[in-house]
Amino acid sequence: MKIFLLIFCFTITLFGEPYVNKQINTTKQKIIENNDFNDDFDSEFTEGRESFVKSDPLSGYNRLMTNFNDFVYVNILIPTATMYGDALPSAARKSISNAFNNLTFPIRFVNNILQLKFYNAGVETSRFVINSTIGVLGFFDPAFNDFGIEEHREDFGQTLGFYGVGAGPHIVLPIFGPSNLRDTISMIPDNMLNSTVGFYHDSSITTTDIIQINTLYYLNKTSLHLGEYESIKKDAIDLYPFIRDLYEQKRMSEIKE
Amino acid sequence: MYNNKISSLSKNIIKTLLLLSILSVQAMAIKENDISSQMKLKIDKTTNLLQNKKLSADDKINQIFETFDSVFDYLSMSRIALGNNWKKLSSEQKKAFEQTFTLKLKRSYIDKLNLYTNEKVKIERIEKIKQNRIELHTKLIGQEEIYDIVYKFHKSNNNEWLIYDVEMIGVSIMKTYRNQFKEFLSTNSFDNLLAQLKIKVK
Repeated sequence: MKIFLLIFCFTITLFGEPYVNKQINTTKQKIIENNDFNDDFDSEFTEGRESFVKSDPLSGYNRLMTNFNDFVYVNILIPTATMYGDALPSAARKSISNAFNNLTFPIRFVNNILQLKFYNAGVETSRFVINSTIGVLGFFDPAFNDFGIEEHREDFGQTLGFYGVGAGPHIVLPIFGPSNLRDTISMIPDNMLNSTVGFYHDSSITTTDIIQINTLYYLNKTSLHLGEYESIKKDAIDLYPFIRDLYEQKRMSEIKE
Repeated sequence: MYNNKISSLSKNIIKTLLLLSILSVQAMAIKENDISSQMKLKIDKTTNLLQNKKLSADDKINQIFETFDSVFDYLSMSRIALGNNWKKLSSEQKKAFEQTFTLKLKRSYIDKLNLYTNEKVKIERIEKIKQNRIELHTKLIGQEEIYDIVYKFHKSNNNEWLIYDVEMIGVSIMKTYRNQFKEFLSTNSFDNLLAQLKIKVK
């Protein structure tokens, strides 16, 4: 008798699953029919000031520019970056990315200070010193890889946001992609930090050099993010509002931290 | 009479056994203390599956979802994605939407996972926001950047902790769908939305 029960138990556990799934599905069905959810998500997901219906005065232009950028990404930038990626091994490209990143230290440092994030500014300094020395002019990132010291990325747009400056109307920039009034204007002080302190310290660098350097920077960066743009596009029903939403959400959470 | 007693006793035993078996299946759901360790197991398993060159793409997809199906609350996600429009739907429409949207979410998730097959995932910490909300913070160490990925858990009707939203680099997936659908449904019908989603999951 007991053996029979044991075998029965065993069999039920093994084969009872379709029965259990049916139970789960009928419970689900009841929940759907009776609107019987125990959890209210609405308060968490209702936008207040963050409403998507906020003004978008440049939407016509933005849409056009989104389509233009899409054409450039899909037909020019991404194929070129793919070829570049095939030609240069990923380790080399990561090193190039590290070097560029190390050089933008002044932007991160100054903006951390401006936001009174002194500890983070100190951390950034440690990273800069370690990577510039042990990391051979920033080509390597021993600060993170060996010491686990993470970056604290800040820029002037985040600084303004930190002090309550609103984003302003959404603006899609040619090639650079989504931005807004505050963040676009903020490119100016950040670039000044780049040119005076970092990169363009040597005044013998010509405009052609600057264009070449920037091209390398973006080509290299794109080659390390292949597939992401296409993946994002697949989730969009309407490309422009989707990218705009992604950008604004990302900026808001960057400013908060 | 003796026979009746035996048959009613057997019936009771069978009922108890069935109940126990259902409960044992339910026990596969995640308890609060286990969230971190269980998710680590699932994420590691997924990484291994993605890197396994011997499996076909379809096999990988199916196995990854076997791992994650028990923790994703697709029904709540469908409800969140439609917001106020959910209540306006009929039962059949709700079911149809849930089925298609679930498929869309799965496709999208796998798509993203495939981009980062060789990258490490670190479990950072767990935060209990409210009685009914837990956030699991993870970091994906990509080629050029570290991506913050937050899994948001809530306690469902069955007292299981389930994921109702995932936040990648500060962007809430549910918020983006919600905004998209809200804007779409302001100028289009629900049937149109369903049709569009079905095209995307083909």
